[in-house]
Amino acid sequence: MKILPASVHRQHSRGGSAWVTPYFFLLPYLLVFVLFRFGPVVGGFATSFTSWSIVGAPRFVGLANYQALVRDPLFYVSVRNTFYFLVLTAPTLIVLGFVLALLLNRPLAGRGVARVLVFAPYAMMSAVVGILWNWILDSNFGLLNYYLGMLHLGPVPWLSSEAAAMPAIAMTTVWWTVGYNMVIFLAGLQDIPPQLEESARIDGAGPWQVLWQVTVPLLRPTTFVVVMLTIINTFQVFDQVYVMTGGGPGTATLTLVQYLFFQAFQTFKLGYGSAIAYVTFALLLALSWLQRLLLPSEVSS
Amino acid sequence: MNLRRLAVPAPVSAAGFRRRVGRALQRRGLLGLSYAAEAVAVVVALAPIVWMVSTSLKPEGQILSSVPHWIPQTFTLENFQHVLAKYAFVRWTVNSVVVAVVATAIVVVIDAMAGYALARFTFPGRGLIYDTIISMLLVPIQVTVIPLFVIFAQWHMLDSLQALILPTTANVTGVFLMRQFFLGIPGELEEAARIDGASDLQVFSWIVVPLSRPAMAAVAALTFVSSWNNFLWPLIAISSDRARTLPVGIAQYMGAQAGTSGSAPAFGAPLASAVMATAPALLAFFLLQRYFTQGITMTGIKG
Repeated sequence: MKILPASVHRQHSRGGSAWVTPYFFLLPYLLVFVLFRFGPVVGGFATSFTSWSIVGAPRFVGLANYQALVRDPLFYVSVRNTFYFLVLTAPTLIVLGFVLALLLNRPLAGRGVARVLVFAPYAMMSAVVGILWNWILDSNFGLLNYYLGMLHLGPVPWLSSEAAAMPAIAMTTVWWTVGYNMVIFLAGLQDIPPQLEESARIDGAGPWQVLWQVTVPLLRPTTFVVVMLTIINTFQVFDQVYVMTGGGPGTATLTLVQYLFFQAFQTFKLGYGSAIAYVTFALLLALSWLQRLLLPSEVSS
Repeated sequence: MNLRRLAVPAPVSAAGFRRRVGRALQRRGLLGLSYAAEAVAVVVALAPIVWMVSTSLKPEGQILSSVPHWIPQTFTLENFQHVLAKYAFVRWTVNSVVVAVVATAIVVVIDAMAGYALARFTFPGRGLIYDTIISMLLVPIQVTVIPLFVIFAQWHMLDSLQALILPTTANVTGVFLMRQFFLGIPGELEEAARIDGASDLQVFSWIVVPLSRPAMAAVAALTFVSSWNNFLWPLIAISSDRARTLPVGIAQYMGAQAGTSGSAPAFGAPLASAVMATAPALLAFFLLQRYFTQGITMTGIKG
């Protein structure tokens, strides 16, 4: 982890142009970064204070977009739906990802294959996952309702009822992405020196105690990252919803990014859409701040 | 039940024999449970994919059946032929490949260069530049789509492959990963080359690039996958088959047929397109999974 002092470089580079070198290496990246990332992030914020419908020039309106947002019932619906999706999906993704990692970290036969297969759905694109689960969740001919019927349950009108649509999308999302969390947890588990768990075992600790008193605390930094990534990803949900329900039935699955898309690119209110984008960003910042508060990445003791 | 008993610490001194027998039994119970759970996990992960393939091989008339047949009663390729004949599926695929390959090639080069500069040189503005780049990790990408739309509209470049490639090259994770990688490897080799008279560019291309192949492979895998799966921005930027990519083509043309709204859903063609889009991705994933997982764990653990 050592960074060479600048003097070393200066000493060995010939000519007086050595100071250019780092900028030369940085330049190509900085160019695209400023144009396509940093610039848009700043520009989007500026746009949120304007009224603009792509044709014509943006008109500065101050906080009008944000004030309109506060009075927009659909905005509240989309905030509520987004949090509902987060609550349905994130805890399951985190806990199940951890359990799968624990399981497939055990010396079981075929665990290598099992790891790859559990992760495999993540290699599919969102549009494909959406179409596949539309079929599986079909009310009349879907696989899920068929097997539920064998248990004398259902049929559940998964995607066509307001009550079941969001849980259905959440279920699809868990199937699709839980392998991602598993892979991160597995890497974390493999970083734990086996001697630590072994010595706890020799001291007479049972598997539960080893888990709660050795593994879980040592896995804290990994857990922090998984929780953060899961919150960020579920909060920005768009693809599955777009393909599976388009925000419906009614507004039952209208999420924040769905609403942004609708306002900015279907009614072409770019300023209003930008305001939704920045409120989404602010909510996400608040969530990650809350997480830092409740679940610090370092072991405090 | 078994598990509950495990929570009680065994007596430390006596009854060693009893403890060992108890442990062995518990271990066997836990092992059986573990294998059962492993089997369930694999079946749940795999069954939908198998079902997708199975459905795509059935004639449309046999798909909507009140009893599911995992093995088609009649095998047919008509769904695949239908997709290839009626839709610009091949064009979407080519577009997806071109965008992902070009974007990945650019990202690997410029991110390695930028990461190298940030890790190995001290220069005015380094802290500010690094902090600005890293702070973008926190900003959701959706925040950028409206300004990007405006930029490319003004450049008259909407509905082009460039509109998809360029924003993908402004990748933050890659720079971060490359910088971390360079900080973790010693710089002596580079110094030795410098003493032998190599220029900075020679040091970079002869010493640094060959050394950083694993990190570059991880960055390449991550970039390729995110470009391949990219959905929201292509949905916004692209309006014709000229530049339409696979995910958007499938969602716009196939999603509607498979949707819950409208008349009787048709699943044959949508699922055939799903299979064709998934097969190369899964194949690549099985062959290159080391790099995928490497990329994920590098962002995960060190991010």
